Amino acid sequence: MAPPSDSSQPRLAVGCRWGGSGEGRVILFPEGKINLQGTGLQVLERCDGVRTFGEIIAELQRQFSAADPEKIRSDISVFLEQLQRKRIVDY
Amino acid sequence: MRNGEIDPLESSVETNQIKVTQLRNYPMVSNPLALIAEVTHRCPLHCVYCSNPMQLAGTKEELSTAEWMSVFQQCGKVGMLHAHFTGGEPLARTDLTELIAAARAAGLYTNLITSGLGLNEQRLQSLIDAGLDHIQISFQDSREEAANWIAGAKTHAYKIELSRAIRRHKIAFTVNLVVHRQNLDHLEEMIAFIERLNPERVEIAHTQYYGWALANRAALMPTHAQLEKAVAIVADAEKRLAGRIRIDSVVPDYYAKYPKACMGGWGRRLMLINPAGKVLPCHAAEVLPGLTFENVREKTLSWIWQESSSFQRFRGEEWMPEPCRGCDRRSEDFGGCRCQAFLLAGDATVTDPACSLTPSHGIVEAAVREVNAGAEVARPTSAPSFVQLQQQTTDLWSYRTNRE
Repeated sequence: MAPPSDSSQPRLAVGCRWGGSGEGRVILFPEGKINLQGTGLQVLERCDGVRTFGEIIAELQRQFSAADPEKIRSDISVFLEQLQRKRIVDY
Repeated sequence: MRNGEIDPLESSVETNQIKVTQLRNYPMVSNPLALIAEVTHRCPLHCVYCSNPMQLAGTKEELSTAEWMSVFQQCGKVGMLHAHFTGGEPLARTDLTELIAAARAAGLYTNLITSGLGLNEQRLQSLIDAGLDHIQISFQDSREEAANWIAGAKTHAYKIELSRAIRRHKIAFTVNLVVHRQNLDHLEEMIAFIERLNPERVEIAHTQYYGWALANRAALMPTHAQLEKAVAIVADAEKRLAGRIRIDSVVPDYYAKYPKACMGGWGRRLMLINPAGKVLPCHAAEVLPGLTFENVREKTLSWIWQESSSFQRFRGEEWMPEPCRGCDRRSEDFGGCRCQAFLLAGDATVTDPACSLTPSHGIVEAAVREVNAGAEVARPTSAPSFVQLQQQTTDLWSYRTNRE
């Protein structure tokens, strides 16, 4: 499988959904949960199947303008690819 | 985290007197994460590797719909996230749709672990409408004759049909394949078979020796050679299927260097409720002598989790013997499985004999040696009736049978 492209529309895979509430917000999947903090949470909240990968990156680059934009892109790409292999995210 | 609860794994323990006292009273009590709901022990299959207890709960003792509904509400309140519906065959409960809906209404992720027997497309749709998040179907083999022989029932063709129906619906689908000596030689063929069923996930589960599986261990334990080959085949498949099908597989503990972290630690993450309402820290705990298990008919889940002597008995590290006590791995594997320690070494308070660091490991080594010395694969047989099949295979194994 390839990493997401700019036009990919990342979304939670079937069988994965948000659960918990407030600070205990997690992503539930068949065998467990992912506790999300910081940027991981920011990324997955945007994986709504509507926004494209390019749009998500642009939003986060604006939000974290002090960080290297290319690093943001590559980190998020690796993050989503890992979750795709675990069958938690599709794109 | 609630008042008075400390999780030393996640927060550093201070030497402050109050906290030390709390730690002694409530060692490591964080919320339970998931419920394993054994809604019935009835099952149309007779799998020789079944890990249900040999003493099954009868139909008359089963919790009612209302009692299970109360259980799920309590689960939500104590902060659990998952409800795993299992059995026996959970579909044998005619009220399963209601139970799934109640669990979902309590905020739980609902997972149905099933053989598929008792499910048709209409019932599947009603389960999905009730909020079922995920379904896991077990397969015994890729070859029909062998699959039916292991299950002691002609169910293979039906499961294939059902898997196709599942893929016509929007629901997450896992195939569970139990592997052992009698089918490991054609693991590649089985993985190719599962690929065609097109699930999101595959669980390649080596048989664990509890209940019927322990009684049938001599016929089920794989050889060294089989296991080595299987590990390579799984690694290959993982690479090939990455991004399409996720494969979960664990090396069987008789062949591992260290024991499994059974249930993620005793009374640490999971609660199991059996069909009669008994609340257990794991599937097999009822075999342990000297422990009394509470019933949800009499006590609340929250009380059982926090206060019951059964859940506290092996929680944390205070109970641990050597070599666990001084071992760095004690917070990873929690001393292994208490039931296996009892079943193999006759003492639930010793280190799991699957651990290569413990003196009782010789018991496991002897079992492995014996199996490797005379390991033969049997030929699948079929018979016009289950009783005849039982009679023809008494030398090899005993099938799981229902209580009534």
